[in-house]
Amino acid sequence: MRPYPIRPGRLIAKAILALAGFLAVFPLVWTALNALKNNVDIITRVPRLVFTPTLANISYILGRDSVLTGLYNSVVACGSAVLIGVALGLPAAYAVARYPNRFAGDIQFFVLSLRFLPPVAVAIPLMVIWLQVGLYDTLPALIVTYSLLTISVIMWLAIPAFQGVPKEVEEAAFVDGYGAYPVFWRIALPVAARSLAGAIAFSFVLVWNEFLIALMLSSSNAKTLPIVASELSQQGMNVPWGILNASVVLLSLPPLLFLGVLSGFLNSVFRQKKT
Amino acid sequence: MRRRSSLPVTFLVPTLAILLVLSMVPTLYAIVIALQNRELSAPGYTWVWFSNFADLFVDRRFLNAVWVSVKWEIVTVVATMVVAIGLGVLMFEVAAPRLRNIYCLLFIIPVLLPRVSAAFVWKFAYHPLYGIATYPYRLITGGLIFDPLSKASTALFAVASVDVWQWGLFFAVIVLKLLETLPPQPIEAARLDHAKRWQIHAYVTLPMLKAPLISLMFVKMIESLRSFDLIYVMTRGGPGVATETLDMYAFSQGFIESGKVSYASAMAVLMMIATVITFTFLWKRVQA
Repeated sequence: MRPYPIRPGRLIAKAILALAGFLAVFPLVWTALNALKNNVDIITRVPRLVFTPTLANISYILGRDSVLTGLYNSVVACGSAVLIGVALGLPAAYAVARYPNRFAGDIQFFVLSLRFLPPVAVAIPLMVIWLQVGLYDTLPALIVTYSLLTISVIMWLAIPAFQGVPKEVEEAAFVDGYGAYPVFWRIALPVAARSLAGAIAFSFVLVWNEFLIALMLSSSNAKTLPIVASELSQQGMNVPWGILNASVVLLSLPPLLFLGVLSGFLNSVFRQKKT
Repeated sequence: MRRRSSLPVTFLVPTLAILLVLSMVPTLYAIVIALQNRELSAPGYTWVWFSNFADLFVDRRFLNAVWVSVKWEIVTVVATMVVAIGLGVLMFEVAAPRLRNIYCLLFIIPVLLPRVSAAFVWKFAYHPLYGIATYPYRLITGGLIFDPLSKASTALFAVASVDVWQWGLFFAVIVLKLLETLPPQPIEAARLDHAKRWQIHAYVTLPMLKAPLISLMFVKMIESLRSFDLIYVMTRGGPGVATETLDMYAFSQGFIESGKVSYASAMAVLMMIATVITFTFLWKRVQA
């Protein structure tokens, strides 16, 4: 490639990119700052960058029973659903990837088509069903419902991950006398582990962020963190903004912990395509 | 050689059976409920067959919700693709590898946020008096009020901007990765022919990426159906019914205003039929 002289077009392009990068994170940074502000520093016509920080909002949030229950519910519901998704989704994905049959295409389409279902269309009948069997507003109901999401997403993403494992490695294990199951446990799973971690992290983020189904399937006991956070806001201006901002920050932290895993997953997907 | 093994059966059948049960039971039950006249407040019900559906077609609020949903779908999908391709190409053209990695990390952050969080972040930002996003307007106009979320003409676009903030930036990263997978020869050849930069992308690289870009658009169309969280937090369907999409209207019919579960379910069934038919058709086209 020959070098290009500096041209105004390139400068403008760089400026647009820098602006986009700024827009990507600034609203979040601002929210985090507001979480550290007293109300007088938030309700100002001119935004204040310099202020006396306070931890009152954060300690208030962490001291509320409703928030702690929501956090507990979110962790249990999402954690269990992801575990179920792993236990059922990974083996099924491996079977589709490595033992192709004439239904493989249909199976993949079926799994994807679960994503087409409008959440309301699933949530309304499930609410009636859970009410009838007496499980409405309980964590088991939420876990079963979320499992539909996690199983299908993990399966969908794990199929290419298993296909990316070099066939020769598995064939060699077969020659060494391994059976079909040990090949899955000892060869395919460890080799594909990194891509699989990305798929699992993605499914966790998906159910952690889920709102509509949790809203419809809980009334008091099984509320997850997104529901609790949205309820804080409905008290309008009676709730200091700093507290709302603090709850947004708390809600957003867990998915952001997976930033590294997920961007690595993205890279590995496209590296596979290239080779 | 792989011997015949029981593995595909033991690995696949339980999972598929569970998925089938978990998806078919609610789907079929949604249809059953839609044919009855259940209400949240009353335990009894009778079969009313298709009268819920008949009512829907003369319900002007429902027809408005259909129109809002279609608008939402078009605005968010088009804007996301434009932002993604624009920023993706810009990164490919002017950002050095290290800078690209930084941008990629930054651009993934918004999409990881819960929709509820994203909605709050921007609801604060769009506040007419104290919001950070409306501050430049106040500064320039000397304190005039601009309230994008409570004007019928701008509310939908203001909410859509949050969706594009999440998905457009994320897809820009994917467009960049797609451009990086292209072989360099056609680009070099176009350069030797003195093609301008934008011409190279418009006539060489983007046409080469047509198939993955269409798949990407397909994914966005599916994700755009999940607008509920944003709208619920930011506008509740308002002002008036300006941002009331189908899922928002179904929710308020079923839960907030009247508890007409059957009526809401009839709406959900229509949505389900429309999306399954549309996306099955599109998917077959994309695959072909």
